[in-house]
Amino acid sequence: MRLREPDAMNDLVSDVLRYGVLVSSVVVVLGVVLALAKYGLLSASDFLTYLPNQIPHGTFKVDLADLATGLLVLDPFSVIELGVIVLLATPVARVLLSVFLFAAEGDRTYVYITVTVLVLLLFSILVTPLIPIFQA
Amino acid sequence: MYRLLALEFFVILFLVSILAGAVGSIVGLGGGVIVIPILTIGLGVDIHFAIGASIVSIIATSSGAAATYVRDRITNLRVGMFLELATTVGAIVGAALAAYTNSMLLELIFGTVLLISLVPLVMKIGEDIPAIPELQGLAKKLSLKGSYREVDNSEVKYNATRPGLGLVGMVVAGLISGLLGIGSGTFKVLSMDLAMKLPMKVSTTTSNFMIGVTAAASAGIYFARGDVDPMIVGPVALGILVGASVGTRLLLRAKNPTVRKLFAVVLAVTAIEMVLRAFGI
Repeated sequence: MRLREPDAMNDLVSDVLRYGVLVSSVVVVLGVVLALAKYGLLSASDFLTYLPNQIPHGTFKVDLADLATGLLVLDPFSVIELGVIVLLATPVARVLLSVFLFAAEGDRTYVYITVTVLVLLLFSILVTPLIPIFQA
Repeated sequence: MYRLLALEFFVILFLVSILAGAVGSIVGLGGGVIVIPILTIGLGVDIHFAIGASIVSIIATSSGAAATYVRDRITNLRVGMFLELATTVGAIVGAALAAYTNSMLLELIFGTVLLISLVPLVMKIGEDIPAIPELQGLAKKLSLKGSYREVDNSEVKYNATRPGLGLVGMVVAGLISGLLGIGSGTFKVLSMDLAMKLPMKVSTTTSNFMIGVTAAASAGIYFARGDVDPMIVGPVALGILVGASVGTRLLLRAKNPTVRKLFAVVLAVTAIEMVLRAFGI
């Protein structure tokens, strides 16, 4: 496959970023509205990390099973987390797409560069949290 | 003491984040320089959660602003992808070393480095378009060149120089991001501006494009540690996205020297914040 316009790559990369942001913000808005409906008139310090040391950090560990359960009952925090995960996935999708776009342009050097970045990125997001030295 | 309602907490964070997103998307940073002190000093949030929120704000600024800058051909995709090699390596190494380093000492060192880098930045404060260096060596092999159109439709051409030095700067940027969770946009812009001699708007928009990947590289760890508080990052992400759409419109119309001046101011504030944090303030 060859891209017709030499700069068509920019439009596709831009689209991925735009749609990633759009989907993520719709989900986060939904989560925030649910959260405010439930907790909006409570004191922030009752359930937030508003006061230091009241809630120890490490409270909001993301666990996929918990997330799925939370989403089923429309738990506000789970919905926001889903939106943030979509946001996090956006740059990853952008790098993945770039691999194919550089390949379509026939630019082998940049295919290697982009694949390396993608591997490092996935390693960092998915593997490093499991390695003890990264658990500072 | 007045007890803040969750609704008020949300509104404050949302509004502050709009400002952070606008400034960040213009000068190529993630807005943590504004979000972190508001959260910690202003609202008394634990620094770990503030950094978790900053990571999310960086990703939001990056994707929100880069969608526009990439479409308008200001961001240099090849320069960005090439330099991301160095930032991701730096981010992973930094995260591995974080447990064994003294963050106060690091903040003092990096804050001082940033303050010193104000000198060359201020020396060329009025520069609009840098003299075009000859494209040679690695920069030529990797075609680290480009052009963009100003709002008056004039075409600005440029070549990158010293890609090796740029890579070193980017390793430092990645290390800081992994070690401290903050401040990596400033080092990215400085590397492209001072080392690689790219036009200021190309430097800030390409930094914008890159910071999302650097922050995403660190995000897994912050998620796993439980430092991403949904009630904090929800309003922050939304405010940042609104702010970034305002900021991108301003950047497209702004002149290079104006962007450089704003960057210098934000750099100075970032540096001072870092040094103050080193002294526990």
